[in-house]
Amino acid sequence: MNTLLEVKDLCVKYGNIEALHGISFNVNEGEIVTLIGANGAGKTTTLLSVSRLPPPEAPKVISGEISWKGESILDVPPHEIISKLHMALVPEGRHIFGNLTVEENLKLATYARKDSAKDINGDYDRVFSLFPRLAERRKQRSESLSGGEQQMLAVGRALMSKCTFIMLDEPSMGLAPLLMYDMFRTLKKLNQEGLTILLIEQNANLALKFAHRGYVLDTGEIVAQGTSAELLANPEVKKAYLGG
Amino acid sequence: MDILIQNLLNALQWGSFYALIALGYTLVYGVLLLINFAHGDVFMVGAYIAFFVATFFLGFVDLSPWLTLALTVPLTMLLTAGVGVTLERVAYRPLRRKGAHRLYVVITALMCGLMLENSNLALLGASRKKFPELLDKVIYTWGNVSVTNLKLIVIFTAIAVFILLEFIVTRTKIGMAMRGISYDKFAIPLMGIPIDNVIVFTFVLGSGMAGLAGLLFAMSYPILEPYMGALIGWKAFIAAVVGGIGDIRGAFLGGFLLGFIEVGVVALFPSTYRDLFAFSILLMILWIKPTGIFGVAKTTKI
Ligand SMILES: Nc1ncnc2c1ncn2[C@@H]1O[C@H](COP(=O)(O)OP(=O)(O)OP(=O)(O)O)[C@@H](O)[C@H]1O
Ligand SMILES: [Mg+2]
Repeated sequence: MNTLLEVKDLCVKYGNIEALHGISFNVNEGEIVTLIGANGAGKTTTLLSVSRLPPPEAPKVISGEISWKGESILDVPPHEIISKLHMALVPEGRHIFGNLTVEENLKLATYARKDSAKDINGDYDRVFSLFPRLAERRKQRSESLSGGEQQMLAVGRALMSKCTFIMLDEPSMGLAPLLMYDMFRTLKKLNQEGLTILLIEQNANLALKFAHRGYVLDTGEIVAQGTSAELLANPEVKKAYLGG
Repeated sequence: MDILIQNLLNALQWGSFYALIALGYTLVYGVLLLINFAHGDVFMVGAYIAFFVATFFLGFVDLSPWLTLALTVPLTMLLTAGVGVTLERVAYRPLRRKGAHRLYVVITALMCGLMLENSNLALLGASRKKFPELLDKVIYTWGNVSVTNLKLIVIFTAIAVFILLEFIVTRTKIGMAMRGISYDKFAIPLMGIPIDNVIVFTFVLGSGMAGLAGLLFAMSYPILEPYMGALIGWKAFIAAVVGGIGDIRGAFLGGFLLGFIEVGVVALFPSTYRDLFAFSILLMILWIKPTGIFGVAKTTKI
């Protein structure tokens, strides 16, 4: 299996506070990998580090390595993470551009794409068929969308930026159960079409049913890892994250 | 009636100057939430750049006034844009990188403005410069109304600039990115957009238009001095705020509104009342709508 993302002994700091104390994990091509952990464990911090976003909102890497297809990405500027390496982040809290319409949000995501208008139009069609609600609301200012619809837009936007790898930070947040299952079904389908996924979830049960493998993060350290089946059966994990 | 039309034209001309400058405040604020207090002085530098470019082509290269004008317009805009971009590079960007609080960036902008004024003073001395004539003055008269070709050019330029900028901001991807940044800076790089490019582009637009305003102003009122940008800059800034800072339509509306109020006051009262009345009226508008006419509350900024 081809390793896409490899994180090794990663330590990061926000100012003087160390938030990750040397974590290591990897994601292989075609996989769905999940990172679970309690509030403040460092899940978002991990994704922000991989996305190479600059401080102060994101942490600073102190030591360790983050590599993509075997090459360090520590010096890659954040916009090239998506435009050159095709790794997308759907951030916690969605961060859609509320003052732009649904369509404009999607269009902005194609900013750095160099492929043909035909390919790009094909991707609009794909996003609108995956999320028909977005198609109905394409001319609407996106801040007027419901929380669930905004989440769809955030995912749709990542797809428009032409990613082969997507990192999702709690995509189920604020979604009603039905919509949440819809979202996961859509993600599963995208995975089967070749998209590699790194998923963060509070809801460990759901995440482990969905993912192939997982890592458990606790206050900046990885305390357990394995296939989803292994983690679901792990008594410690069961006790701490799966409600007994 | 004739007096009314005459005043209307004057108001439109002054409104055009205010609008062209207000634009730079509003664009930079929209993208960076930074009040670029150096902008009035960038306008002044623009007028001086126009002066040097025009004198060079007229005097040293010996071109015709027409050709000189045709070269002075783009060169002034380009060089003034360069000044704006330089300010961004050496003053604002380093602070942004360090995550400095906005207050410090605003103070830096104020200092940059003073530095531009004083370096002008140091380099060129206190003597005023007389801007050369580039345009044969034509006066059109209907009854008692008269208007110069230059005045019409100023007004039409402002309108053309408005249309161009509206197009850029609403229709192009970089314009969309400018609007996007004002709402959520965090997500911009996630879309593959280099933030710094968008910021530089914003400064290019704002300062380029200030350069254009400087040239037109120098042609209309051909005496240049280092402090010429201070008061007009403040006024344009206030116009941008009254129109709703961060919004291009607001900058134009505010600019023209200020032009109309000023000319209106002078038509009815002694001219020494002009600024007092003008600002009182603007203050009242802000009482009624503190976010400015086109402004929206901070949480839903343009
Ligand atoms: N911008 C920041 N500045 C300083 N400390 C931060 C910042 N962001 C996060 N932290 C700290 O880093 C640690 C990890 O936070 P992180 O947001 O990664 O947690 P998380 O696992 O995503 O939690 P949640 O499930 O609540 O989203 C926390 O202790 C948090 O207080
Ligand atoms: Mg988080």
